[in-house]
Amino acid sequence: MSKDAASRRLTRRETHSSRAIPSIVTASLLIAVFLWLTLEAVLWLLKDQPLLASPAQLLEWLIGLPVNTTQAGMVAAGAGLGILALVLLGLALGTGRRQRRALGSERAAVVVDHEVIAAALSRTARRAAGLAPGQVTTTVGGRSVRVQVRPTSGEPLVVEDIQAAVDGELAAYALERPVRSTVQILNEGAVGQ
Amino acid sequence: MRNTNRALNRLLLAILGVILLGAGAALIAAGTLPGAAGFWETTLSSAREHVRNLAGTAPLPDPVRSWWLVLGIAVLLVGAVLGAVWLASQGGGKTPRLAERSEGSAGRTVVDAGLVSAAVKEALNGHPDVLATSVSAWESRRGTALRLRLEARKGASPREISNTVEQLLQEIDAWLGHPVPVLVRITSGTRTQVSAARRAR
Repeated sequence: MSKDAASRRLTRRETHSSRAIPSIVTASLLIAVFLWLTLEAVLWLLKDQPLLASPAQLLEWLIGLPVNTTQAGMVAAGAGLGILALVLLGLALGTGRRQRRALGSERAAVVVDHEVIAAALSRTARRAAGLAPGQVTTTVGGRSVRVQVRPTSGEPLVVEDIQAAVDGELAAYALERPVRSTVQILNEGAVGQ
Repeated sequence: MRNTNRALNRLLLAILGVILLGAGAALIAAGTLPGAAGFWETTLSSAREHVRNLAGTAPLPDPVRSWWLVLGIAVLLVGAVLGAVWLASQGGGKTPRLAERSEGSAGRTVVDAGLVSAAVKEALNGHPDVLATSVSAWESRRGTALRLRLEARKGASPREISNTVEQLLQEIDAWLGHPVPVLVRITSGTRTQVSAARRAR
């Protein structure tokens, strides 16, 4: 990587999630809960009717929770909170990688969607083998690229040729996080195109 | 490109996750272990007693009763405000100005992002592999960066598009006089879905 820090930073921020949407949702819920509690507390102080439950009622309910709830209910509620917690922790501590990759470039930070890479590799493989559109399917994952080729019936294909074409194309991209490619020729052929 | 504080998002989501995990574990324990249920009840009851005792001290005239209750409401409000601050820290940083230079008494020169946008659109208009472009400028503490978003035709080589853009950027650099950091995003969008792949070339 011969690129400067600014470029690397741009790439990093474009290929990784900012967790903005979960943050917005969580922050909104937090604001709603805190405002509701504030309102209930003020209503309680003014000896007014509570909206849903006064702080005193809430605390009473919380104290009696293990006694008034069935065991299954407690476990289910705890498991529900636990799942939510694991989702939040997964978002916070996961890599947050998006389905995009950085392309090697001298001047700019170039980030390409996996979808675009897959379509381009499909076309490369298709041209190398002289097939019709739709006979090649490519999946781009985190570490690997899988090219699946459905040959035309009665016209055998040479895997090595397609592999070489795909690898050549990938080498031209100079991806910053390299991938391994596999070309698979399906047994089932397509009827004469 | 946005100025979202990503470390803060991760930290706060992790803290909330840990709190929820603790609450979930406490619920399960109180539901299944008899000792834990008793502990739950005594702890919360003593907490309630504590609050009642506090509400008796530091008295205030009637509707409010105690400074401690005022403090409690203030803490809840601060929680809501911190939530709002977190919400407001998401995104931001888009700017219409790509570059600016003050020349003292001679005045100021401002380059609009729209100028580069028009140039890029003009240059890539009719390019067989680029279906749509959008150009924006983003400002952060590290300076202003340019973001080019290009929708590629299905099957187009990202390398070829990237080479075209690099040439274009060289011209823009020469034109502006000093290079700005650029992010090029090659993506697929609605135009990609509705446009046919190129058959021959």
